[in-house]
Amino acid sequence: MRPVAPRSPDGGDERARREPFLPWIAWLGALAAVTTAMLAVRARLDKAHVALAYLLVVLGAGARAGHRIGIALSVVAFVCFNFFFVPPYHTLAVAEPLDWLVLGAFLVTGIVAAQLLARARADAAEARERTAEVDRLSAVGAEALNAPRAEDALLAIAEVMRSTLRVGRCEVFVRDPPGGTTLVAQAGTARVETAGERSDDARAGAPLFRFSMGGAGLVDWVASSGRAALERMDGAVRVGAEEGYTSALLGLDVAGARALLLPLRVRDRTVGVLRIAGESALDLDVAQLRFLVALSYYAALGVERLLLVAEAEHALALREADELKNALLASVSHDLRTPLTTIKALAHDLREAGHEEAATIEDEADRLNRFVADLLDLSRLEGGAFTVTPEVNAVEDLVGAALQRVSGLVREHEVHVHLDTTEPLLVGRFDLVHSVRIVVNLLENAAKYSPAGSAIELSAERRDDEVCIAISDRGIGVPAGEEERIFEPFYRPGRPDVGSAGLGLSIARRMAEAQGGTVRYAPRAGGGSTFVLHLPAARESQLGAATSPSASL
Amino acid sequence: MLVIDDEPQIRRVVRHALEAEEARVLEAASGREGLDLAAAERPDLIVLDLGLPDMAGADVCRDIRGWSAVPIVVLSARHSDREKAELLDLGADDYVTKPFSTIELRARVRSHLRRAALAAAPAGDARLDVGHGVAIDLARRSVTRDGLAVHLTPIEWELLRVLATNAGRTLTHAQLYARVWDRPHGDAQQNLRVHVASVRRKLERDPVRPAIIITEPGVGYRLDTER
Repeated sequence: MRPVAPRSPDGGDERARREPFLPWIAWLGALAAVTTAMLAVRARLDKAHVALAYLLVVLGAGARAGHRIGIALSVVAFVCFNFFFVPPYHTLAVAEPLDWLVLGAFLVTGIVAAQLLARARADAAEARERTAEVDRLSAVGAEALNAPRAEDALLAIAEVMRSTLRVGRCEVFVRDPPGGTTLVAQAGTARVETAGERSDDARAGAPLFRFSMGGAGLVDWVASSGRAALERMDGAVRVGAEEGYTSALLGLDVAGARALLLPLRVRDRTVGVLRIAGESALDLDVAQLRFLVALSYYAALGVERLLLVAEAEHALALREADELKNALLASVSHDLRTPLTTIKALAHDLREAGHEEAATIEDEADRLNRFVADLLDLSRLEGGAFTVTPEVNAVEDLVGAALQRVSGLVREHEVHVHLDTTEPLLVGRFDLVHSVRIVVNLLENAAKYSPAGSAIELSAERRDDEVCIAISDRGIGVPAGEEERIFEPFYRPGRPDVGSAGLGLSIARRMAEAQGGTVRYAPRAGGGSTFVLHLPAARESQLGAATSPSASL
Repeated sequence: MLVIDDEPQIRRVVRHALEAEEARVLEAASGREGLDLAAAERPDLIVLDLGLPDMAGADVCRDIRGWSAVPIVVLSARHSDREKAELLDLGADDYVTKPFSTIELRARVRSHLRRAALAAAPAGDARLDVGHGVAIDLARRSVTRDGLAVHLTPIEWELLRVLATNAGRTLTHAQLYARVWDRPHGDAQQNLRVHVASVRRKLERDPVRPAIIITEPGVGYRLDTER
């Protein structure tokens, strides 16, 4: 394992890194000084005194300057001990065999002590590093949370990553809903970049990789796959094995990579991509990778915040547009009906005074009014502002109200109703107002597309948990392949002269769907069309006392 | 009769229609003015537009109902069925949706004037001939169709009685619940529509094309008398 200590921003280690011989000279000098001092009083010294004095120097070196100097110093001290203080002096020979034991014990003690000290020191340095990391993380967190705009928060996070990890560039991309990504924050070498265009490769003299996985394509791939990826110096691309961040990242061999791309994930959803890159190879150890992963959570939250802000702004804009639309609808509906009333009344007076053509004015005013009502309903149905209040209703009531309403409109056709009023009541659970509108639209549609004088048939029955109201005509029918298109707004089957905007059927179907039913078309045997309105039937439990004849005063 | 409407054209149209009924017509251009005129002149009937600039139509309605039973016919343009029902609950007698035909307006006005006159007369005659061969005897609690007695369940009778005593007037679902069922809430209320359908089956010549009990979708029911 590589020592973490030299990377800490501690001043002493910085100096040691710049001038690596300085501690060697200092500690060898200290050893020489101790040797000289002891030589002066050699006669009065016991071997234990010498061993202890040398051990002090060795321990000091081990503690202050690392285990290499510690071990080297214990070897040098061992040689000096033998040479100067073990008889015969000034040779490396040893007269008394027991002295070998003393010398050996000294050497082993020195080396072991140096090792232990170095490890303790490394642990302390790592602990300091962790503390600093936590400090930085909390600082980033606070900065990110306090930033007035989400973009500022992301920029702050990117800047901390770039400076802490000492990489050339750190970029945050946000994932766009339709696919693809947008750069939202970058720290480091400023440059203009758009997705799909990368100019830095050529400028930096790096090997060009133009295959599809490189550059912006790779960012998009990380965003869509949720897996980490890295670009190597030679242009090759490695991708993480699985979704999710830490495992995917730590499974990659970062050494020698030029750029590292991490998916930014919030609640199992990839919201963006973090890309760190340098002009030269990235040089990150495990601790730094861990730090990177921790910071990327902040970046992910920052991107999430960006997305939420955008969503909120969008929702606000939609709401404002909706309010405007509703105000417009209300105004159109009111301001149009008032003059229509006057027009109708005056036309009526004219007709009573003998001007027969004034009847056309009245009819057209009614048509205009229906058209506006249709447009309003369609816009409410489309806008989701359509309220439905389903209640238990008798199908007879529905049919009766619809017939009453079309009595003035469907004049040239007779409506034959096949509804056996001696059978038990056919009861459904639907919105009466909307359902009347549906049946009226279907009856008008039948009248519109069938020859004058032909009959329109209306029947109703219960099928399983639905009540079905069928309206059949002997009209022109619907061309093959158009059976669904007729339910689209403004569809008119090649007959522009029928005096309708083609809204009736689409409104009918949407209103039926809004209350859990639908409208279907089928060609009628023998020519013509059958439109069937399906509505939910009422369950027995919803009928209660009404079906039981015995209620008493 | 009094017309309360801020639009001069609509006032003209309504005045025209009412004068065809040989009525003297007063006009008010605001809710305030309308209330003052109603109090001073005691009209037989009021036509009230809901889209007044100074007061909500509902407030005008409530104010008048505070001291008078004069029939009120409401003109509405953009109001939903629920709002119409609320107005009827507040005491309005009827509503006409713009753009209305003058024939329709005149028919409604006639019907309310007749009903108001009936209500003012001493209640001597308990028999009501609703037409279409159906006669109701409120005192004897009996109904005949083409001279033959019709059997109704107690709830059906109550329903018919309430509608008949308010003939020509649309009663909202809430009003029917309150008058037919004593309890304000209960199971049976859900089935008001089902009861109406079964009364129709017993009285109407063609229950699918009712001529006596008319449905006002989303608002309520009205008993029409043949005229």
